[in-house]
Amino acid sequence: MKKIAVIGSGAGGLITSSKLAKDLSKEIKNGEVSIMLFDKKREQEFQPGYLEVAFRGTDPAKIRRPMKKLVSEGVKIVHDNCEKVDLPNRYLKTEGSSEKIDFDYIIISTGSSPDYDQVPGLRDANMDFHTDAYNSSLIYQQVLKIKSGRIVVGIGGLPYKCPPSPNESAFMLDEHFRKAGIRDKVEITYITPFTRIYSADSINEVIAPMYKDRSIESVTAFNTDSVDASKKEITSLEGETMKYDYLFLTPPHKPAEFLKNTELSDEDGWVKVDKRNLHITDYDNGFAIGDTTNIPISKAGVEAHLEGIVVANNIIAEIKGTEKRYKFTGRTQCSMETGFHKATFVVGTYDTPVQKITPSTFNYMEKKVMEKIYWGSLHGHYEWLFKYHFKKDYFEN
Amino acid sequence: MTTMNVDSRGTACPGPITDLIRAYKKAQNGDMIVLVANDPGVVPDSKAWCERTKNVFVGSKNIEDYFEITIQVTGKRA
Repeated sequence: MKKIAVIGSGAGGLITSSKLAKDLSKEIKNGEVSIMLFDKKREQEFQPGYLEVAFRGTDPAKIRRPMKKLVSEGVKIVHDNCEKVDLPNRYLKTEGSSEKIDFDYIIISTGSSPDYDQVPGLRDANMDFHTDAYNSSLIYQQVLKIKSGRIVVGIGGLPYKCPPSPNESAFMLDEHFRKAGIRDKVEITYITPFTRIYSADSINEVIAPMYKDRSIESVTAFNTDSVDASKKEITSLEGETMKYDYLFLTPPHKPAEFLKNTELSDEDGWVKVDKRNLHITDYDNGFAIGDTTNIPISKAGVEAHLEGIVVANNIIAEIKGTEKRYKFTGRTQCSMETGFHKATFVVGTYDTPVQKITPSTFNYMEKKVMEKIYWGSLHGHYEWLFKYHFKKDYFEN
Repeated sequence: MTTMNVDSRGTACPGPITDLIRAYKKAQNGDMIVLVANDPGVVPDSKAWCERTKNVFVGSKNIEDYFEITIQVTGKRA
């Protein structure tokens, strides 16, 4: 029997396991293949929805689903987190267990989480809209109380997931206070360690004039070092200080703890993979996808999705004994809401630079359609649509 | 003084600048960062970043199909 272990039940882990289960259903039924999905979590949240919860008051329950409804038939879920992966000897261990669980293939998809230790003081000072639905709903209650003052939003450190979200938070706060009729009493300042408001020049060309029009001040090349919550002051690595009344920074992110200081990962714990076939360096049977990897592209759900499809296809081909192999094109497609029912997309691949896409209501509707089909997409229901949409970027043959 | 070598070849904007900033966070004043990247935007972006953060853009070299940029870290607060 071929044993496939999928570590992490975020978008990447679920899509990969559902694709494997669907295409290997006969082999699973015959006892030739097993798929085990490891994660302690009992629920999953639609993470791009945090912005809607924090800045528009969407009910957090609307972006949350129990895990048992998201795991496809043929996949066995194990509600434990992984603690150790031994690739040469092909086994893993779960937290607190000495049992060695064998595998033939492993896909690590453990995502990323906020790393507040990188920025002393930030955790206490920050109104973190970026990390979970419940806290985002608390942020909304605080946003409703803001009647005047200086808001600082932006990027608190690198790397972080969902690249457009700091910009989106600036646009959505602007919209909120305009609708409340108090925009003239609220100053919004956007800070970023990059030299542009959005790191990719083509998108920066689109949104920089919008920042000017909306009176959102920007401070570029600002490397947040620490925050003093009592003084309400941010200090940069260069010693500049900035005062705030309300702070909405996207924190830097870190990989799962068990990946740090292992041969699989770089010095920060991100798993080293081939950026096209997603093999963990030197291991044909080990893969990593999504935020977990050290691939220098966006940490976002669409990457985890497309990478998962590539990995699943290649494992299926190997098990079925076919020769065709697939590669990840580096395709990204992150939506960026610019407020007032308009959005743009950050679209690029390894070989094509990020496109310049003007914000439109149509783009906003496309973003909303994605939200509607998200839960079904975790079961693989819409792969025909993604294949049609992404065309040659869906995967490279 | 330490020299930090950062290889961003094969990555496009903002990959090299992301790598530069992550290395900078770990560096101390006096350290050198040698960044190699094949995205042509890395040279003006690194220059602009150095000007803004008060670090020293020592120079750039075009070697085969990539750029080598040397930066001296001078901008961090003591």
